[in-house]
Amino acid sequence: MLISTQNLEKKYQVGSETVVALKGINLSVKKGEFLSIMGPSGSGKTTLMNIIGCLDSPSSGSYMLNNKTVSDLSDDELAKIRNSEIGFVFQSFHLLARNTALDNVMLPLKYAGKQKAEAITLAKDVLGQVGLSDRCSHSPSELSGGQQQRVAIARALVNKPSILFADEPTGNLDSKTGSEIMKLFKKLNEEGQTIILITHEDEIAKKSKRVITIMDGLIESDVENNDE
Amino acid sequence: MLVEESIKSAISSIKTNGVRSFLTALAIIIGTAAVITVIGIGSSAEKALEASIDDLGPRTLSIFPSQRKRGGISSGYNPLVIKDAEALAKNKEHDWMIAPAMSGNRQVKFNNSNISGDINGYLPINFKVRGFDIGQGRIFTEKENLGRKKVIVLGSKVPGELKTSANQLLNKDILVAGTSYKVIGILKEEGSTGWQNPDDDLYVPLLTASQRIFGTDRLGWINVGISNDTNVDYVMMTIEEILRQKHDIGPGGDNDFRINDWSQYSDLRRQATGIFTALIAGIAGISLIVGGIGVMNIMLVSVTERTREIGLRKALGATQKSIMMQFIIEAVLLCILGGILGIIIATSLLFLFISINDWVFSMPLSAIIGSITFSALVGLFFGIWPARRAAKLDPAVSLRYE
Repeated sequence: MLISTQNLEKKYQVGSETVVALKGINLSVKKGEFLSIMGPSGSGKTTLMNIIGCLDSPSSGSYMLNNKTVSDLSDDELAKIRNSEIGFVFQSFHLLARNTALDNVMLPLKYAGKQKAEAITLAKDVLGQVGLSDRCSHSPSELSGGQQQRVAIARALVNKPSILFADEPTGNLDSKTGSEIMKLFKKLNEEGQTIILITHEDEIAKKSKRVITIMDGLIESDVENNDE
Repeated sequence: MLVEESIKSAISSIKTNGVRSFLTALAIIIGTAAVITVIGIGSSAEKALEASIDDLGPRTLSIFPSQRKRGGISSGYNPLVIKDAEALAKNKEHDWMIAPAMSGNRQVKFNNSNISGDINGYLPINFKVRGFDIGQGRIFTEKENLGRKKVIVLGSKVPGELKTSANQLLNKDILVAGTSYKVIGILKEEGSTGWQNPDDDLYVPLLTASQRIFGTDRLGWINVGISNDTNVDYVMMTIEEILRQKHDIGPGGDNDFRINDWSQYSDLRRQATGIFTALIAGIAGISLIVGGIGVMNIMLVSVTERTREIGLRKALGATQKSIMMQFIIEAVLLCILGGILGIIIATSLLFLFISINDWVFSMPLSAIIGSITFSALVGLFFGIWPARRAAKLDPAVSLRYE
């Protein structure tokens, strides 16, 4: 099992009030799955993504990633896991504006402590995979939205992560470009990449093989999707 | 590679906010420029001072007449006279050059020009003790001194003051207090020593001055030229012994003369320069610390502005240490750039100052290395807190920071 959570809870202290964002999530994800997490804003889907993306720790419950308990690790240990196991793609791309596409893709390799020559080769390879071999030296402002999101996907993939997280990856793109990005995800999944999509759009969620709906901090439904 | 990434990121951040970076670094720039300028002026002044001491030729002691006190009552000057100098010169224990001198102001005339000149009565050896070199003609001889000859040697600027040239004056007669003297030599330019300018003076044999011009055997001073390896204290004791005997001063009586060691003055001057430098360095140090606070402030702003970037870097696997390093390197780099700019400004100011004063440029390398190191330390110290704040940011929150 790639991801296995048990009674995952998350509480926030807002002033004197305690907000419970997750009320006990039990979730299992196998390697190679293409999964969507849906839910309206405030449902807790972002909190869930933060925890299974190792950006945050649960208040209680346990989380095992690759058969390793990660719910009680320190900040820096989580950073190492994010670096090697998880790739993030964000709605607003989150590229460093002053760096070239290649430098952006190389960033995770720098934090992984790779040698420069090796890092350049790896980054160029993965930029090729997303169809941007000829855009290596362009800065984000010289790229279209779709191209920027491809650079971000290349960056997420460059360390060969166990899971690719995509948080509303098509939210800032027009529908044509959005569907191209979704095709890219599908292709990557067919090549064996585990992908978890966070979205509130049914259209997008439909493209994945399994849809989980979160409501008020609990899993409301967990449906296999065989339409595609 | 991570260090390289941090440096690249720091440079691009400093460049992107060019004006802001410059204003932030301004206090560091001014502080460093102040320290380097003052140290440079001090160092160049010392070089100039050393050069002027070297000009004095061998090390020189000077003996001056002094007030003699008996029971707290001053009994006036007890003069130094030519016989005192002769007694000193007779002592063969020391390898010294006794150079007695008297001076006074007399009217000097050539053709229609007319100046008030400082006339010095010298022995030939005096020129050697003071390190004066002859430019044209010659210096008078011991024989001319003993013969009270009416010959005169001029400082290099005297011909100009008499509205003529050295060539016009050489071997001509000029009038000193109405008596004609033959110009036998003109000195090379010596330059001011600070308290007098030998280039403006006129020099006649001591006995000529004593008998024909001033009518006294009282000396203004006696210079004693000694070699640099001489035991100065021992020389001073011998001088005291001889002069006290000549002046008939009993045990317990005060000296009626004083002995100056000029090198002591240069030591004092050096000390004063040192204190001044330390003072300015202290003030500049405060300016650097104020600059450091400015750097801290702007780094805090930068951390806030770049919260999303920090969140992203953490999401991609940056540890607290690597985020901290990135911001500390940025603060240190900003301060070092400020330091370098300060040094460039200071060096330009120094060249200006030095060309005005006709000094030689001198700047100790240690000052440059020291000030850059200090700037870097300021950056390090004041960068730590903002960098820690950046490193402690929650990645989940900062990724969504607007």
